[in-house]
Formats: sequence, structure tokens, C-alpha cells
Amino acid sequence: MKRDGWMWLLALLAGFGLGLVYAWMVAPVRYVNTVPTTLRSDFKDQFRAAIAASYSATHNLDRAKARLALLGDADPVQALTAQAQRMLASGASFDSIRQVAALASDLKSGVASALPTATGTPTAIAPAISPAAAIETATAPTSASETPTAVNGSPTAVASTSAPQIFDTPTPRPTYTPTSTPGAPFKLVSQESICNPDLTDGLMQITTLDSTRHQMAGVEIIITWSGGEEHIFTGLKPEIANGYADYIMQSGVSYTVRIDDSGSPVPNLAAPTCPGANNQTYLGGLHLTFQEQ
Amino acid sequence: MTLGIALGLFYGWVISPVQFVDTTPASLRADYRADYVLMVAEAYHADQNAQLAAQRLAIFGSDPPDSIASQALQTGRSAGYAPNDIALLQDLTRAMQAYQPVPTAAGNAP
Repeated sequence: MKRDGWMWLLALLAGFGLGLVYAWMVAPVRYVNTVPTTLRSDFKDQFRAAIAASYSATHNLDRAKARLALLGDADPVQALTAQAQRMLASGASFDSIRQVAALASDLKSGVASALPTATGTPTAIAPAISPAAAIETATAPTSASETPTAVNGSPTAVASTSAPQIFDTPTPRPTYTPTSTPGAPFKLVSQESICNPDLTDGLMQITTLDSTRHQMAGVEIIITWSGGEEHIFTGLKPEIANGYADYIMQSGVSYTVRIDDSGSPVPNLAAPTCPGANNQTYLGGLHLTFQEQ
Repeated sequence: MTLGIALGLFYGWVISPVQFVDTTPASLRADYRADYVLMVAEAYHADQNAQLAAQRLAIFGSDPPDSIASQALQTGRSAGYAPNDIALLQDLTRAMQAYQPVPTAAGNAP
């Protein structure tokens, strides 16, 4: 009797093990219809870059927001900003960095801005939002047979349905008003020395404005000095300002700053020496403001 | 043993199934794939850079870019995409059909 009990238990365990092998290795649950939230992080980066490239072409901020929501980032602005910095560090193309930074900046401000384009002309406005971009899926798929349910306007978590329900109501088109002449040169409109011991020593702060004095994100700034060159972009610190960028100057080094390839170089920029406490001195900073002409 | 197998399957499929957290774009649902392709089409419409568009479509694996664009076009049609979106996807599909990959420098090296 006791032996039968052991046999039962052994058979049960063996069966359990066989079941696990079948469930985990032979025929595991397959998610073939996954959602973007489950993508590997590098693929999410590529998705964000594509969203930014699309946004730079269409200036459709609502559509870009809906698409970014699909990736499930807690803070899309932060995710874009961090990605722009990663791209900068990895030597990605300036155009793609500029697109990502500009999208982060526009998301933060909530206003679609005009970007300088390669062709120099504003591009087409995007049409109505597509069904896929209107779907908000806050959770991972619960069923491989889940069907898409597009709810336009307010993203809503949707449950599985037996048949697709598509409500294709066009979203309002953004009113795109060109605010500047794309590719117009920038001009230095103000330069001031900053003596503030609370700031990082040698901090060069740069602000870029468009012709209507709105801050511009995604503007490339080229800083050169004897034996070196650095490229930075505005918009990577939207927590400070959309058109802001900064750089740490070294003592005794003369820098030349120019905006993109279109601006006139501003030479002979150096960190000022500021009087500090107890007759000590410290390295001050500069604040340069460039405006598109 | 049958009871054990049933328990094992229940545990492996329901209680603790294999988790797919780092998926690839190829496994995305068709409408998400189509929306990504639409993004590429929107960017292509602005920059007319077929090579860049093909590179962006390569995220889906080794399928030819014209095939990826064509599938997205079909998905867009069946999902009721707006006419402008369909037109963009058609443009991209045509561009990808005409696109010839540029040999890389490494490929030309002796």
C-alpha cells in the first residue's frame, strides 16, 4: 500500500516534468502578434528614430505622441532626450540626432515647430492618424489571437474582440505655420559674461532663437579651438530650455562658435576670470544668444 | 502520470509561461508593422532617400524592402488607412521596387 503511494507520487512528478518540458521547450507559448512595448531596447531606439524622422517630415505632433505611447515609455521626453545623447555619443548622423532632439523639445513644449529640412521647404502635412497609431496598449498581449481595435482620439486600453472594429475618424490637421526661413543663417545677438559661483566653472551657455524669437531645438552648434572641434545640439536639455545647449570651456583656451554651417563664426571666446571670496578667483562662464535671420 | 502532465502543462502555459520581453520587430502584429512602414514612408516622402528608407525597413529582418512595403500597403488597405497614407505607402513600395542596394566599400575591396 505504501509502495503504491510512492509510485503514484513518482508518476505524478514524472508527468509534471514531461508537461513542463513540452510547455516550455517543445511548444512554448508563442507571441507572434506582439506590441511595441515588448521590443528590445535597441529596437525601441530605432522605432523612436523612425517616429522622429516621420515627425520632422509631417510636423504632426498628435500622431508622434500616439506612436510614442505605443512604446510604453514612462516619460517619452526623457526617453527621447536620453536616446539623442546616446546617438551623439555613438556618432549617429547629425540629421537623425536633430530629429530626435527636436521631437523631444516639441513634446515638452506641446507645440509643433518648424525644422530646417534638407530641401529647404516645408514638407507635407501628415494625413489622419492611422488605426495602429491610435491604439493604446498599456499591457502586454494576453492572447496571440488578439485583434486590433482602433479608437481614435483618446487612447484606451482595449480588450480582445472577435472582429476588428475600426473607427477611422480623421484627427484635426495641425495648422503648420512656417516660422522661419529654413537654413537661414544665425547671428550672434547677445553675449554676456557670467560670474556665478553656483554654476559650473567655464560653462558656455548657448541659446538659439528663430526669427520670431522662439527657442529652437535641434540646432547644431560647432565649437572649435586650436587642435579640436566639438559638435553639440540644442534641445538635449529641455528641462532647462528648448533652445539651450552648453559646453564646458577650459581655462586659457580661445574658442570659436558657429551655428550649423550657415552661421558666421564667432571667434575669440574665452571663459572670464571672476573675483571670488577671500580674494580668490574662479572661472566664469559665457551666455551666447544666436538668432536666425 | 496523466494528471502530472496536465499539471505541468497548466503550470508551463498558464501560471509561468515563457516570457518574451525582448522581442524583435518581425514578431510585431501586422498593424504595428504597417504603421512603422508608414513612418518610413512619411520620412521618405520628405527626403527621397531610398537607401535610408531601405535601411529603416531592414529592422524587420532579411525580407526584401519592397516586400515589406508591399505587405504594409496591403495591411493599410485592409485596415482602412486614410487615402494619403495609402498614397505614401504606394510611393514607398514603388521606390523600394526600383531600389538597388549600393555596394559597400568593404564589398568592393579586393
